[in-house]
Order: sequence, then C-alpha cells, then structure tokens
Amino acid sequence: MTSHLLWIAPLVPFAAGLVMLLVRDRRVLAALDVAASLAVLGLALAVARAVSEHGAVTALGVFRADALAVVFLVLVGLLAVAVSIATVGWMRREVARGEMREDRLRFYFALVHGFVATMVVTVLSDNLGILWIAMEGTTITSALLVGFHGDRHGLEAAWKYIIVTTIGISFGLFGTVLYYGAAAHAQGGVFAGAMNWSSISAIADRLDPGIVRIGFVFVMVGYGTKAGLAPVHMWLPDAHSQAPTPVSALLSGALIKCALFGIIRFHGIARDACGPEFSHGLLLAFGLVSVVVATPFIIVQHDLKRLLGYHSVEHVGIIALGLGFGGRLGTYGALLHVINHGVTKALVFLIAGDAIGRYGTRDMRLMKGFLGVAPIAGTLLLMGAFSLAGTPPFSVFVSELMVIRAGIATGRWVSVAVFLAMVVIIFAGLVHHVGQLAFGAADGHVERGREPLSPLVALVLLAIVMVLFGVWIPIEPDRVLSAATEIVVG
Amino acid sequence: MTVELATRLIDVLGGLLLFTMLLILAAGQVFRAIYAVAAQAAFLGVAGAVLAAATGNVDLWVIAGITVVAKAVLLPWLLIRVVRRVRIAREIEPVIPVHLTLTIAAGIVVLAFHLNASLGPVRQAITGNALPVGVTLILIGVLVMASRRKALVQMVGLFASENGIFFTAMAVSQGMPLIIEIGVILDVVLGALVMGILVLRVRSSVDADIADLESLRG
Repeated sequence: MTSHLLWIAPLVPFAAGLVMLLVRDRRVLAALDVAASLAVLGLALAVARAVSEHGAVTALGVFRADALAVVFLVLVGLLAVAVSIATVGWMRREVARGEMREDRLRFYFALVHGFVATMVVTVLSDNLGILWIAMEGTTITSALLVGFHGDRHGLEAAWKYIIVTTIGISFGLFGTVLYYGAAAHAQGGVFAGAMNWSSISAIADRLDPGIVRIGFVFVMVGYGTKAGLAPVHMWLPDAHSQAPTPVSALLSGALIKCALFGIIRFHGIARDACGPEFSHGLLLAFGLVSVVVATPFIIVQHDLKRLLGYHSVEHVGIIALGLGFGGRLGTYGALLHVINHGVTKALVFLIAGDAIGRYGTRDMRLMKGFLGVAPIAGTLLLMGAFSLAGTPPFSVFVSELMVIRAGIATGRWVSVAVFLAMVVIIFAGLVHHVGQLAFGAADGHVERGREPLSPLVALVLLAIVMVLFGVWIPIEPDRVLSAATEIVVG
Repeated sequence: MTVELATRLIDVLGGLLLFTMLLILAAGQVFRAIYAVAAQAAFLGVAGAVLAAATGNVDLWVIAGITVVAKAVLLPWLLIRVVRRVRIAREIEPVIPVHLTLTIAAGIVVLAFHLNASLGPVRQAITGNALPVGVTLILIGVLVMASRRKALVQMVGLFASENGIFFTAMAVSQGMPLIIEIGVILDVVLGALVMGILVLRVRSSVDADIADLESLRG
C-alpha cells in the first residue's frame, strides 16, 4: 500500500493540472488549486508517516522515499498549500486590475500544478536519470510561468532562466552519465538499477575515484546553477523578481531546494568514493562564494523582489556551507535551514507581492509606512525580515547558528570569519531596507483596503512554522531531520 | 562487428562531431550553424547505430532512430521555422572575436584529452575517446552560447552541448536505459518548444532579439 503513495503523490497535482485546463471560472480554479495542494500536503505527510514507521519506501526501483526525501517533500507540500491560499486573493486583484486575462487563467493554474508535480517527482526519484528529467521538467513548466505576464522584463527573465538553467542542468546530466559509467564499471557491466541512487551508494566505496570526481564537478556546476549558487546564479534574481508573486514564492522556497536535494544525493556517493575532502571542499567553496557575491547586491538593491532574490543566493550559500562543514551538526543545520529558509522566504515573498500591489511600485524608495497600510501583513513582514537576517527567536537564527558551530568544530576559521562578516553586513542592509518600507507615513495614493482572508491565512500559517521552529523543534520533525542527517553523513 | 572496429568507428565519428562543432563555432550565419548542428546530430545517430551493432543492444537502435528523428530533423526544422518567422538579421555578430573563441576551443580540446588521460582503468567503461569528445562538445557549446547575442545561435550551442552528452552516454557500457533516454529527449524537445515560444513572443511585442534584451541588471 505504502509504495502506491509514491505513485499517487506526483499523479495528483499532474491530474489536477489537466482537469484545470477544462475549467474557465476563476473561483472554481482557485478552489481546485487549494484542494489539490492540500492533497499534495496530505500525501506528503502520509509518506512521512510511512517512512518513520517502516523506514525507506520504494516503488519499482523508480521512486524511493527516505527521511531525506521526506524533508523536501513536506516542504514542497506545505509551500504549495500556502501559495495556493495566497493565490486566491492575489488572483482576484490581478484580474480586477487587468494584469491577468481571465481566459488565460486556466493555463496559469495548470502550469503551477505541473510545476509542483515535477518537484514532487524530483524529490521522490531513486533513479538519477528520472531525477534529472524531473528537474529539467521544473525548468520547462516554471519558465512559462516566469514569463506569464508577457511583458518585456518578464520575457527577458524567462529567457535567461530557461537558457542558463537548461545548459547548467545538462552539466548535471553529464555528471549523472559518468556516475552511471563508474557504477557499471565497478560491477563489471550494466546491472539492474545501475542508475539508482540506492544501488550506486551501496557500492560507492568501490567506484573509481577519478571519474566520480569529474562527475561530481559537473553535477555541482549543473545542479548548482539550478540551485542558484554563485557564480552560476545570474538567472536567479531576474527570474525570482519578474515571476508572478506566488511563483516567486515557489521558486525561492521550494525549487532551489529541490536542486540542492540533487546535489546532496550525489555528494554522498562522491564522499564515499573519493574521500570526504573533495566534495566537502567544493560545497564549501560554492557556499562561501555565494554568500560573498550576494552581499553587495543586497546592500545597494532598490527593487524589493530583486532584494529577496539575491537574499536567496545568500541562503542557498549558507546551506551549501553547512553541508561543506559536514558532520552531524553541519548537516542537520543545513537541512533545517532548507525548511527555515523555504518557509520564511515564501512568507516574505507573498507579503512583498501584497505590498507591491498596494503601492503600485516595487522600488523600495517609494514605499513607506507599510505597517500603517496593512498592520498584520506589516508585522509579519518585519518578523520575516528579522528572521531572514538571522535574529533570534526566529527559525533561521537557529540553523545559521548550527552551521557556524559546525564550522568552528571543524576548525575552518577563515570560512567562519568571512561568513560572519557577511551576515553582519547583510543584517544591516536588510534591516535598513525593510525599516524604510515598514515605517514612516505612506503617500495618499496607496491602496489602504482591509486585509483579506487570503493571503492572510497563508501568511499566518507560514509565520507559525517560522516562529515554532525558532523556539522549539517539535519531536516528529526533529526525528525526521536526524534520520535524514544520518543518511547524508552515511 | 568486432569491438576494435567499433572503437575505431566511434573515434572517427567523434572526430566528425568535433569538426561540426568547429563549423558551428565559426559560423557567420544562423542557417549555417543550424545545418551544422543537424549534421552533428546525424553523426550522433550513426554512432548510436555503430554501438548498437557492436554491443547487440536493441535499445541502442531505438535510441539512434529517435536521435535522428528528434535532433537531426525535428529540432533543426523548428529552428529554421523560427528564423523565418522572426526575419532576424542572419549574420551573427560575436561578442568575442572568432579567432579568440577558436583559440579557447583549442584549449578546451587539449584540456579534455588531458583529463581523460589522467583516468585509470575505468576508461574501459567508455568506448574509445567518447569521454573527452563529450566534454569538449559540452564546453564548446557553452562557449558558443556565451559568445553570441542571438537567441537562435544560443539554442544551437545548447543542442550541440547536449549532443556531446548523448555521445558519451551512448558509449558508456551499453548506453543509458531506454526509458531514461526517451525522457531526456522529450525534455530537450519540450524545452526547445518553450524557447521558440519565448523568442516569437518577444519578437511580436517589442521587435528585438530576446537574447539582446538587457534591462534587468544589478
């Protein structure tokens, strides 16, 4: 029974997407959207329960759910639900303003669910080839969403996104081929499941280190492009800032984490095949470069959504640093950071979309007094921004602290020092930007309508998770994270 | 077909793939680049057939057939249609001078073969020189994409890169599983369709080459 769940989980959003193509009414579409996302979250939790009861669940050598996959799967489900709820109100406003044509809505909703379905396949796949196919599938569906408005900036961002990530991810395919070749060579020929992560990692210590090393470099560049790691992040600020707001939240919160999931899978094999220094060092380098490159762009940014985009580069870098420092503490911190950043960034993106709708601009110099315009969303924005900047008692602080402690424990003083310096600068920059936005008196032309239930329900849901994980990690998530850490540490 | 003959044929075909890659790199016209990448995909199909005959793997025949249909016929046809529809200036203006890109390309070839020579007995898992040729095609494809500001030429560079991956993938053991190859090719075709849609949408709304837009900075 439980192995059926792995088939049903991606099929539900896929089927929902197909059904949506037949519907034209906005309200029906929005209801379907929320229902399908709730189903994805429900299935994700069911898989999580099955995994915590029986250990890893497999289906026909194609899909495999272990604790590591569960971490990412539940994140995708949770963000899908939050984004669907927020989309109800967002879409009402977009249609009323004429930004979104009513006859094209069904394509939008169908693409979003196609996008969710490909992310679900990505995190559930055991076969590394399927992992790649699904990852490229996320690019194809989401590129159309990034350029959905059809304006000049959106299309430019969509082009940069699809061309850069497609060439990037093809490096990942080459890396996959080399891993496959190494596995077939070690077993003296092609064997059943020769492309499966579970069977390759079982014989990882017998793989030829030379070819795995080349393979991991290609994987790191390839999936790293998709994850938004500097210096191959150039598509990210454009795509994340030009996409429709709910899509930005999914891109930043969930998609780049799915790419990291791919890196983690390959990283485990590379570590066993060529010793820990190599892949840890590579992750560390990419992570540190990402944090350093993002910093100046965060400081000088005036575009609210671009600011958040560069901020995602920084946080993906922090996750890579955690994995690079390694050990139980660093890995646990990195995985916790996947959830914390995903939830917090989705929250802040959704509020940013609301604010941009109210002010009619995305230039932060022209946006003042958001706290007075929308008190609840404004408060949540301040909380989210302080969380992103790494302030206690919010969740991002906890995982960043773990990453730093792991760095100190492994004696990587230079990396820790650079990281700390950048975090302090980013803190100042972010608080300055958001303070400008939240406080002061708003101009007369700002839309001051009451705050509707959507997106408010979604915002509160995400904020609860954000605060909860900052104060105390509940027992079940803690167990899953610990089990996932064991899988990564090996 | 004996293994030695297959290895020699694969090396000859690898040479032809490299030659078509240089034609793409030096092409001064969009159409020439498209014809070169179509020829490259046709050689790739022949390589698949050679490996199928050598290993007796039926799946490789299917893969070779799909490669020819999808990459040597369908994608070039799609590209040519888009070029006709957008009526762009057909000359390619490189960002970096052509002689410089050719020098970089030569460096890439040397690097790739050097990398291959550093590998141990695992080289036997891949027929002939398919690994260094694959690495070379991927990196030169990126070079083409980075040095041209034309959407269509960037797409040609992308497809040439992917040809390199397919070449190595075919030569690994007995090729990748059929279902994976089909999924990958499906992704390539769908991705190309989406890129074509984007190019046409920009051309119809702002009358510019999508790869030449640069309003998003900083």
